[in-house]
Amino acid sequence: MAGTRIESSSRNMENHKEMTAQESLKIIAETLDGSRREIVRSTGKYFIVWGLLLTAFSVLIFILWKTSGKSAWNNLWFAMPLAGYPLSAWLKSRESGQHAENFISRTNGDIWKSFFIIACSAAAFSVLAALPGKNGIASLTLLANLTALIIVLFGLAETVSGFVLKNLSIKIAGWITGIGGLAIYHFIGPVEEQMLIFTFAGVVLAATGLIVKHQYR
Amino acid sequence: MFPKLDPLLHSELRLAVMSILAGVDEADFTYLKKQTGSTSGNLSVQIDKLMNAGYIAVEKGFRGKMPRTVCRITEKGLEAFGKYVESLKEYLSAGK
Repeated sequence: MAGTRIESSSRNMENHKEMTAQESLKIIAETLDGSRREIVRSTGKYFIVWGLLLTAFSVLIFILWKTSGKSAWNNLWFAMPLAGYPLSAWLKSRESGQHAENFISRTNGDIWKSFFIIACSAAAFSVLAALPGKNGIASLTLLANLTALIIVLFGLAETVSGFVLKNLSIKIAGWITGIGGLAIYHFIGPVEEQMLIFTFAGVVLAATGLIVKHQYR
Repeated sequence: MFPKLDPLLHSELRLAVMSILAGVDEADFTYLKKQTGSTSGNLSVQIDKLMNAGYIAVEKGFRGKMPRTVCRITEKGLEAFGKYVESLKEYLSAGK
């Protein structure tokens, strides 16, 4: 029965091809999967952009901090979104009409926006901790562990993103970033070299973007 | 006795368009064309049929200077699509 041709109540419609139930379900499954693949493929592009930016900023800040001995160079991190968001907006305008939004793409975007808000807030509080007369123990503790905190948040955001997009590569990249980043921090401690943890995270993110684009090209 | 399938949905291209629109908030004509691999002319005709049936809503506008046609599924369309899938399931379960 499932393999026999099913007739609709009209035989004379344009573009009509009598399909089996299996063929109809195959069309539905393929188009739904096509939309999901398109969303994941598009995400890969943003992973590459932000991964490269993260790598570039972390290396630059590491070099400036190491050569000058001033941790204030960390304020350069606030310039990263100023470069990244216009670039992302430009990429989005280029793919106008080639991409459709749905619950999955919105949720994925919300995950990364939440990461960004929380990471920026933590960074802002650590800047406050550095101000004269604001050296409360809690703020100083935050400042000392900021890299560890952000890398954990980053890894978590990437992993959850992988679950939402149902992509194993992204999940694994999130675990590698979160756990690997913490492990590196454990060994090198709160010195200038901690910036290289973000280099590691940036390289993993960009590589994941390339893998995802390759998977769904 | 099996239920008659909705003739409007029982067509490859229209079914593909409805399946895409059921999974997204809205989709551009360009996106639908790319995803279905159809020609502009054929897609336009099928979109008009779905729109005339009230299954999808079509909004024509501009993005910058470029004309843009945006389609989204309606409540009626979603209901019809759900019924169509249920009918298919009946056919398939009867075949087992």
